[in-house]
Amino acid sequence: MNITRKTFMRMVGGTATAALLAATASFTSAQEISPELDAWLQENALGQYTAAEENWDEIVARATEEGEVVVYSSSGRIAKLVDHFQALYPGITLTLFDLGSVKTIEKTVREQDAGIFAVDVVTTGNSGQVIYELLGNNRIFNYVPGQFIDRIPEENRDPLLIRVNEAIVFFYNTDANPEGPPISNVWELTEERFRGRVGIKDPMGSGSSLMGLAVLVQQPEEMAAAYQRLTGEELVLGEGVPDAGYEFVRRLLANDVVIFKSGSKLADAAGAAGQDDALIAMTNMTYISRNDDKGNVNAFITDLDPVARMVYPTYMAIGANAPNPNAAKVFIAYLLGNPDLNLDTELTKPYTEGESFDMLQGLAPYHDPGSVSPRSDVPLPAGGEVWDEMKGWNVSAEFMWEQGPALRDFWLIHSSQ
Amino acid sequence: MTITLERHKKPPFWSARNLSYQAYRLKNRPEIIIGVLSLGFLGFVVLVPLFQIIREALTFQRYDLAYQRDGVIGSLTLLHLDRVFNQPISQALFYKPLMNSLKIGFAVTLIAVIVGSSLAWLMVRTNIYFKGTFGAMLVFPYMMPSWVGALAWLTLFKNDRIGGSGGMLTYITGVEVPDWVAYGFLPITFTLAMHYYAYAYLLISGALATVDSELEEAGATCGMGKWKRIRMITIPLLLPALGSAVVLTFIRILGTFGTPALLGLPVRFFTFSTQIYASINARNQGDAYVLALVLIFLAITFIWINSRIIGVRKSYVTMTGKGFRKRESDLGLWRWPLTLLIIVFLLITVLLPMVLLLWESMTLIPGNYSFSNLTTYFWAGKGNVALAYGEPGVIYNKGILDALGNSIKLGFAAALFNGALGLLVGYAVVRGRGARLARWLEGIAFAPYIFPSIALGAIYIGMFSTNIGPIPALYGTFSILVLITVIKNLPFTSRTGIAAMLQIHQSLEETARVQGIGWFRRMFRIIVPLSMSGLVAGMLLTFITAMRELSLIILLISPGNMVLTGVIFGYQEQDMAQHSAAVTLMLVVIIITISVIVRLMSRRVGVGRLSAV
Repeated sequence: MNITRKTFMRMVGGTATAALLAATASFTSAQEISPELDAWLQENALGQYTAAEENWDEIVARATEEGEVVVYSSSGRIAKLVDHFQALYPGITLTLFDLGSVKTIEKTVREQDAGIFAVDVVTTGNSGQVIYELLGNNRIFNYVPGQFIDRIPEENRDPLLIRVNEAIVFFYNTDANPEGPPISNVWELTEERFRGRVGIKDPMGSGSSLMGLAVLVQQPEEMAAAYQRLTGEELVLGEGVPDAGYEFVRRLLANDVVIFKSGSKLADAAGAAGQDDALIAMTNMTYISRNDDKGNVNAFITDLDPVARMVYPTYMAIGANAPNPNAAKVFIAYLLGNPDLNLDTELTKPYTEGESFDMLQGLAPYHDPGSVSPRSDVPLPAGGEVWDEMKGWNVSAEFMWEQGPALRDFWLIHSSQ
Repeated sequence: MTITLERHKKPPFWSARNLSYQAYRLKNRPEIIIGVLSLGFLGFVVLVPLFQIIREALTFQRYDLAYQRDGVIGSLTLLHLDRVFNQPISQALFYKPLMNSLKIGFAVTLIAVIVGSSLAWLMVRTNIYFKGTFGAMLVFPYMMPSWVGALAWLTLFKNDRIGGSGGMLTYITGVEVPDWVAYGFLPITFTLAMHYYAYAYLLISGALATVDSELEEAGATCGMGKWKRIRMITIPLLLPALGSAVVLTFIRILGTFGTPALLGLPVRFFTFSTQIYASINARNQGDAYVLALVLIFLAITFIWINSRIIGVRKSYVTMTGKGFRKRESDLGLWRWPLTLLIIVFLLITVLLPMVLLLWESMTLIPGNYSFSNLTTYFWAGKGNVALAYGEPGVIYNKGILDALGNSIKLGFAAALFNGALGLLVGYAVVRGRGARLARWLEGIAFAPYIFPSIALGAIYIGMFSTNIGPIPALYGTFSILVLITVIKNLPFTSRTGIAAMLQIHQSLEETARVQGIGWFRRMFRIIVPLSMSGLVAGMLLTFITAMRELSLIILLISPGNMVLTGVIFGYQEQDMAQHSAAVTLMLVVIIITISVIVRLMSRRVGVGRLSAV
């Protein structure tokens, strides 16, 4: 064949295209347990090799040999632990990546797809994706330190250990409502008198807010029953609305709910003192602490039909093929708090100081009203004792995984105008 | 007979004669060599991510199982195309937000270009007072994160819709601000225009500085009136810069997220970028990437229109070997009023947001602006567990200071590499104008501008996780941060490189060539000095953006390489308002200081006829 300039250019172009395609064609789908991963699991007694008994001293010794623990975290507050952890376990350096929940998952997945196994401990929320995309695909593995198994209720450690439970609740302004909570049933928020007077943290931008909403939507029968208890009538669904849960979302949006980008700004807006027509805020319970910091006059609506407290978890787990698996175990145990901590332990503010810090350990930065340890033997934070009195439901990971996208679409369509 | 046949027959491609001829041709066409090399490099760092985005948009992802229970992960799917363009949800997901974005894009671009070019003209071509000071300060608004303007707007104009205490206007006058003033289209357009006029200002003042007043005087000699001269002479000469300014501004507005989110959400005014962000946040990559591809398509269309307009008229060359004069118009009676106008403008766009930031950083209880509530703790405190989780003030905070060093390092490295690359791309594109190579290069160099930052970062993890030939694995190192920042900001410098190069007449280079001066010397002695004013402007833009960037690098950064914006993100996430304001202000002040120093230095060494940059 006579090679002309044209064919030469074509060859060059073709090679370049092929190279490009080859470079992009490294897509991986479901991960099976490879022999290497299986060996790693066996060596570290994880996954199906999880042992009933473990030698904690040996784990700590091997962790110290490993010398480092790399953590991808959705929460920046964990940075308060660096010095304390290293003082307690000299020889183990805590390397922390503060990524937010979406990027924690994204970074873990992308790295593992590229064959990089750098993370030891992954701790993040977003139930659907953590359970189904990470745990379900062997990207992370559950680990519950042996000394804590009996003190953690099963729902807080199976299928995955929870680091902290938090909740979305409704705040009301006590200056504007001196006689107490203005509502006792969530459906009242869809009435005309609350038109434009309810604020919500944007569920499209915030995983916790979406999970809070999902807690209501995932219980359509309960929602329908609550409607009937309020009005005495049967709920009539809007056109194309599948059930009572979605109908609540539709009516909330139709009632001109105000969408906030930031949950703390929402808490401040609802709680600023001296208002006579304040917003009711659907936001994270933990922002009640801004009553002290900022002089807000917020209170929880504790008695609400059908539910007052919409609970969402933040998990922690060991990354697949983690380079420092024993250090990861030590850090997870540290995040659960001192084994000597019990319901009678006296804890004083500030919790990230002195003896309280030594008892709470990794719990210390999160020992605020609205946050609850997965352990059943840890006292509730001062100011958050009402947690147990409020009726609560937990978000379902299965619902989030299978219905979360549909709920987002529903919100998108009905918030668009 | 045979001889004539021989002569007319083209020699075969591989023949020694042809190859030596081609080599000879290439030697005299350095723009082709540069163009091919740049194209190869950019092809890898830009096209691979682009292909990946296209492929992932068309691939069934794990997330999509919620839509199609029986879907096969990794298989080809048109699901997301269908969702974005052809389903009931498309209205909410795509069409309405797109319309909102286009409305904002056109309005902001119009205002920004008018404001920017008026200011450029005042600074370069008139005898307005305080020119030096103004010239520097007019770029300051761009050095602040754009959400600062949005926050300032809310502080002034927020109303009862978002509860809490009213804005300052309501506080002072008692008038309740209507929703359409407080949120949505109007404030988004205004605050973005007051931020992004900087593109038009920088590019047009750079170009104006190189337009020879003699050309306009020639027009006057021919009896043209003032406006006719502007219309027939000045504006056509400025077209490349004007075109670049329009393209850069418009496309940046389509992709901007912070301001629309803050000012649009309360009245549910959604834009294209807020939908992309929401999809990425859900890790719904299919939707996000299809939307992003629409953005890329829009951008390419825009560039194409731009290059059509400029491509048709070819003579913009203003730098020739001949004489050059710059004449300033006398503003006469308008001199003081216009000076005052600029002072007011600067007070609103520069001083006000900075004062608000400073004040915020010095409040003991955030949001309480009384004098008794002021403290210097967040600047000079040594750490007190009762305050801000015991985080020490800015000047004693090792984490902040380390991050500051990294940010500056990143900004400088990115600006330097970017300047070099931008110059080469500009050279190859302009000298080879019209050829396919030049068009490809121009298009590819612009593409990263509209990649969703976070997607680019995610894809780079995969691309640079292992070594590529002699280049070691870059993932986890500082180099990859520099690389991705250079690529993402390439559009600035390649645009300014092209604009600058368009004004330099080839004859200058040819003169040197006739005397046998080699390419490198021609480059350093002629091209670089002449295009410096535009190039420095582009590098400065890169530096500023690099210092303010986070979502681009967040996935690639390691704690040891933490940058200031990462620190700010952490403080915002933990609701540490004062620390976040203090670090933001520090970042702004440092960007301003460095750019002023650069400006002074480049003037001292007499960079071109630099007067406005």
